[in-house]
Amino acid sequence: MKSISRQVATLAAGSVAVLCLGLAAFAQTLSASPSKTVYRSPLIQGRYFEDLVPRPKNYIPECCFCGQKTPFFDTWRWKPVSPPADVREIDLEGLKKILQRDPKDTRPLLINFWATWCDPCREEFPDLVKLDADYTAKRLNFVAVSLDDISEIKTAVPQFLKEMKATMPVVLLNVNDPEPAIHAVDEKWDGQLPATFLYDKDGRVVFKYFGRIKPEELRAAIDKTVVKQ
Amino acid sequence: MKKNYALPLFLASILIVALAAVAGSGRNNDLPASPAIGTTIDDFKLPDADGAEHSLKSLTGKHGAVIIFVATKCPVSNAYNDRMEKLAQDYKAKGINVIGINSNNTEPAAEVKSHAGEKHLTFTILKDDGNKIADRLGATKTPEVYVLDANSKLVYHGRIDNSQKPEGITANDLREALDEMLAGKPISKTGGAAFGCTIKRVS
Repeated sequence: MKSISRQVATLAAGSVAVLCLGLAAFAQTLSASPSKTVYRSPLIQGRYFEDLVPRPKNYIPECCFCGQKTPFFDTWRWKPVSPPADVREIDLEGLKKILQRDPKDTRPLLINFWATWCDPCREEFPDLVKLDADYTAKRLNFVAVSLDDISEIKTAVPQFLKEMKATMPVVLLNVNDPEPAIHAVDEKWDGQLPATFLYDKDGRVVFKYFGRIKPEELRAAIDKTVVKQ
Repeated sequence: MKKNYALPLFLASILIVALAAVAGSGRNNDLPASPAIGTTIDDFKLPDADGAEHSLKSLTGKHGAVIIFVATKCPVSNAYNDRMEKLAQDYKAKGINVIGINSNNTEPAAEVKSHAGEKHLTFTILKDDGNKIADRLGATKTPEVYVLDANSKLVYHGRIDNSQKPEGITANDLREALDEMLAGKPISKTGGAAFGCTIKRVS
């Protein structure tokens, strides 16, 4: 009897300790500076969630049983939000407007040209989605420009973006003659896809890559540009 | 006790080399540049889809050649299949031969052959294993066009026309260049950019 009482007491004490630790962690997150971030839950079928309570920057909830970093166990803090907006059609002037940018916007600009019919574009897209998630808070402007046919703007393009769980803004360039658009981006670009360009705040191309990107190289270029600014 | 600076110096030199490697802006792919208009293109030999070797000179027509880098899987290149075939037929009689080159390492010769059969492409398509000729000409995408005159001088480098869809064509750049060349006139527009699929090079 005595040993059973001891076991029960130990179990109860342990449970109270775990509960206190959990409450302490929660209290700490409440007192920390707010961080408005949209998370994508990998375990709840890719739905998008937004913080309901403030949390420290770079906070990543952790499964206390498995050590995996996952937002699953924090779902009670979150509310679902809408997925990214529809794909917008732009013409040459719209593309030039993106490239000119707002003078008050000092963030570097990353533009990726892609199409659903382009295999390496599709292959690199998950890397771009991850990059977008990682750099949103680091002052990077990212736009993905689709070169699909205009007839696909409400079908194949959004379907692909949904499969990719893309969060970055996506526009579809619809021009009769691609040459002025290609030269507006970079005089030395031949139009091959995929193509990725990084512009600094002054509109200078500081990095470009044709073909499937090497994520580590692109990240290094972004980090360098963000630090410089 | 004497201090040994060998290890810190070694580590510092590694750091300097690493920094130098990533320093500088505008890191691009190291793709070869295309020859300038007016450059004479040296002869080369490539096998066709059946393995028979051909030289550029032997395939060049009396008045020149149109080299087009093509692909079997690229939708842009495939959108131009009919136009390339018509071009080949129209200009063969005028002494200009169309020569296709497939430099994609993901598209073997057998696939090039079956694709040409399915799409009724009758012009010779050469297989550029190791993308050597693509590198020599600085070709980056499909389709991409190089026009050589009778003396193998590069007179045009760029696109076929301005639209993947035939109904959207408003600029027939390649045909206009070929007609000017045949008429002995200087070519007014020596190139043009269009979207296409990157050539799948060996890494």
